[in-house]
Amino acid sequence: MKRPILILGAALAFSGCATTPDEPGKVVAEDRFTQLVVPGRTTRAELLAAFGPTKAIVFDSGYETWLYEANAGGGRHTELVLLLDRAGIVQKMRRRPPYPTDPER
Amino acid sequence: MRRLGGFLLAFICAAVPAISSAQQAGPSAEPKPQTVTVTSTRDPVDKSYRKMIRGMERFEREHALAPQAQLRFHLLPRTPGVNMRGITLRVLGDHIAVPVQVADDNTFVLPRNEQALREDAAVVANRKTTSMTWRAQVITPGLPPGTRRLGDLRLECLVGMEAGLVSNSSPLFGWISDALTTPEQVCNSPKGNFLFFNERPIFSVILQAGQRSEILPFKMLYAGGEQSRDMLPFCDCQVLLDRTYYAPIWDRSWPDDTLVSFEYMDDPPASAELRP
Repeated sequence: MKRPILILGAALAFSGCATTPDEPGKVVAEDRFTQLVVPGRTTRAELLAAFGPTKAIVFDSGYETWLYEANAGGGRHTELVLLLDRAGIVQKMRRRPPYPTDPER
Repeated sequence: MRRLGGFLLAFICAAVPAISSAQQAGPSAEPKPQTVTVTSTRDPVDKSYRKMIRGMERFEREHALAPQAQLRFHLLPRTPGVNMRGITLRVLGDHIAVPVQVADDNTFVLPRNEQALREDAAVVANRKTTSMTWRAQVITPGLPPGTRRLGDLRLECLVGMEAGLVSNSSPLFGWISDALTTPEQVCNSPKGNFLFFNERPIFSVILQAGQRSEILPFKMLYAGGEQSRDMLPFCDCQVLLDRTYYAPIWDRSWPDDTLVSFEYMDDPPASAELRP
């Protein structure tokens, strides 16, 4: 009986493929973030020490994407996204500003 | 969601007595053996030929979304380790088998066959069906390299849902999804969660329509970033998670000619990526 319940539970949890509420990234000070994080040099340990853990996705390739956020005023946030390689070193960074069409939290 | 819960309750209430009565039937109720002719075996989750033809008909009806594009279907890996080379496909009915030519990029055009339609044929690959997922492929020719067009993606969603291509989970899960999600519900809603797959692992997705340009939020990449290791096998993004994105196909403020471009994980880093 456990298996059907598990499958039904999974069916409830997924409509297309995902339904859990958005889990925002940890809010940081953008100026400090851009000063401290350097692609090709900053490590996972340094990120954790400076900003703490945040929303992260680990892929089969061993790469990870991490999401931090910065307050942009008016209940909106700037996204600060990092790509970490298999060795845990930041390889890429990008910034997504809030747009007028973004919903407020 | 409340509607889904009610539906499931009704399903359980309807199904349990049927199972129970089947288990309780004694020898006197045993049905007489029947002889049937089985010329081929079908996996219960093979793709329905009728549904795929309905998807092709949907493409014709909605062709205005991508007037210059042709329709192909695309096979993609669904489980770890599946060999995606040398795939062969057949349309398999009770008394008919029609070979389907699969291109090197694992795309194909489905031929129309009236007998296969009458026999409610299945589209069967020489792979375990659950090892792959399927999508419609609608590509307007002449786009800038590496870009997609939002109208093409809108049509891919409608055709893919109409054709029953998404292979999200177990047969039971798939059955519930089919019962509750019409193409319109999925493709015209921000909660439709129709997944698109890129050829390479993506780091950023950018929309461009005239002077308007926006980067997709993080929650629209990697299946929303909500898949735990335990739940990932239920998603047909299981081995393609880093190539997966949602596109705002439901948002009509973005015209069909909106261009979707990508920054990839393996692109060389720009000199000042973070600076605004």
